[in-house]
Amino acid sequence: MVTRSGPRNTRLLVVGLVAASLAIITLDFREGDSGPLASMGRAAQTFMAPLQEGVTTATRPVGDFFTGLAHLPTLARENQDLKRQLQDAQGRAAAYDSTQDLVRKYSDLLGLQAAYQGSIAADVISNGYTNFDYTITINKGSDDGIKQGQPVVSGAVGSPLLVGIVSSVTAISADVQLIIDRDWAAAGQLSTSKVIGLVSGQGDQDLRVDDIPLGTKFPTGDLPEYVFTVSYEAAGHHGLYPPGLLIGQVSKVYESDNALSDQVSVSPAVDFASLESVLVLTSAPRSSP
Amino acid sequence: MIRRSLAIAAILITAILLQSTIFSQLRLLGVRPELLYLVTIVIALNEGPNEGAMVGFIAGLSEDLLLNQPKGITALTLTLLGYAVGLSKQYIVSPSPLVPTVVVAIATAVGISFYEVVAFLLGQFDAPLSIAVRTALLTALYNAVLTPILAPLIRRIVEGARPRRVVRL
Repeated sequence: MVTRSGPRNTRLLVVGLVAASLAIITLDFREGDSGPLASMGRAAQTFMAPLQEGVTTATRPVGDFFTGLAHLPTLARENQDLKRQLQDAQGRAAAYDSTQDLVRKYSDLLGLQAAYQGSIAADVISNGYTNFDYTITINKGSDDGIKQGQPVVSGAVGSPLLVGIVSSVTAISADVQLIIDRDWAAAGQLSTSKVIGLVSGQGDQDLRVDDIPLGTKFPTGDLPEYVFTVSYEAAGHHGLYPPGLLIGQVSKVYESDNALSDQVSVSPAVDFASLESVLVLTSAPRSSP
Repeated sequence: MIRRSLAIAAILITAILLQSTIFSQLRLLGVRPELLYLVTIVIALNEGPNEGAMVGFIAGLSEDLLLNQPKGITALTLTLLGYAVGLSKQYIVSPSPLVPTVVVAIATAVGISFYEVVAFLLGQFDAPLSIAVRTALLTALYNAVLTPILAPLIRRIVEGARPRRVVRL
């Protein structure tokens, strides 16, 4: 790395690096998933995956412990010894709660795995890299039979939840595009009216369902309206997702007199920030189990 | 030279690791910090425009390779950010210890906004303006909060790896 040089050399260096960046942007746009940059990306992910798995495994109990402590009530007594003992006990209780929570999550996942024959359970080792990246990385890859385009779910047997779709795979890890990603879209069915619309991700905001026919009836009062995945077949092609996976709950209905269709907002069913393990459906069933 | 490059590489890998694991859980109002912006800004502020641009390019490209988005936008952003912050070094005369925090806050907000504009022009970002501004400001705030802890650490590692000058009489 050059540390001492004149302003002229520095300007030349910056022009060179900017030109290289622009060339990379152009090349990546043209080549897409099959280009040399995509291969370099997969190599970088293969290098990072074991490190991420290590850090996640090492820090998860600590993170759970602090989450537990954050919920402790304020201690009224002033006695320092008692305070310390109580904190210690409650810290242990919080750690126990988080262990119980983990056991429950894994048993839910096992039940779901039994329901979906031909599925692979995986741990989440990374939750995206930036604020504009709506992907997670899991610790299973092509060596385990995971392929691009496979649906990813979580939840329990009675209520499977749609997490996203496998977007890229290395030998030991895979990236999952979450349903909140702005490039994600799928057909979704409203639970009451059975109307089908196009669900699309909106980043940190709620998902949106478009193309709902005007005059569609929504439940009144506090009755919830849900959106599920739906199976379809058109011109020999079938949908990517098995039917009956919960996408989310309708949070707002936009009705307009001068629009051609109605639109609703849907808050996703999955809490993506605390997702620890998922199930990849390697042979997606055509019907709900 | 090699020691120094290795030290910077280690800092960048650690930043990417922390950002994708621990800091994805420790969010501030739903936003995570951008540690590679922080590292680039701190190194540029310490070392000048040359090294700022170089480290920015390498940091940006490393992040780009891991993202499922068009590659090169972060490299472009951080190259220009490292260069600009490095150039601004000569105009900062205040000895205040708050200087790095303020520079990191302003530069992060400008950098994220630049990234959003480029991504928008390339059709990769279509969030409403309010969300774009909120993300830039909150990320800047989070980076600023982390600066007093991380900046001295980054400086110490980079300076520790600097080749010692031998003076012969």
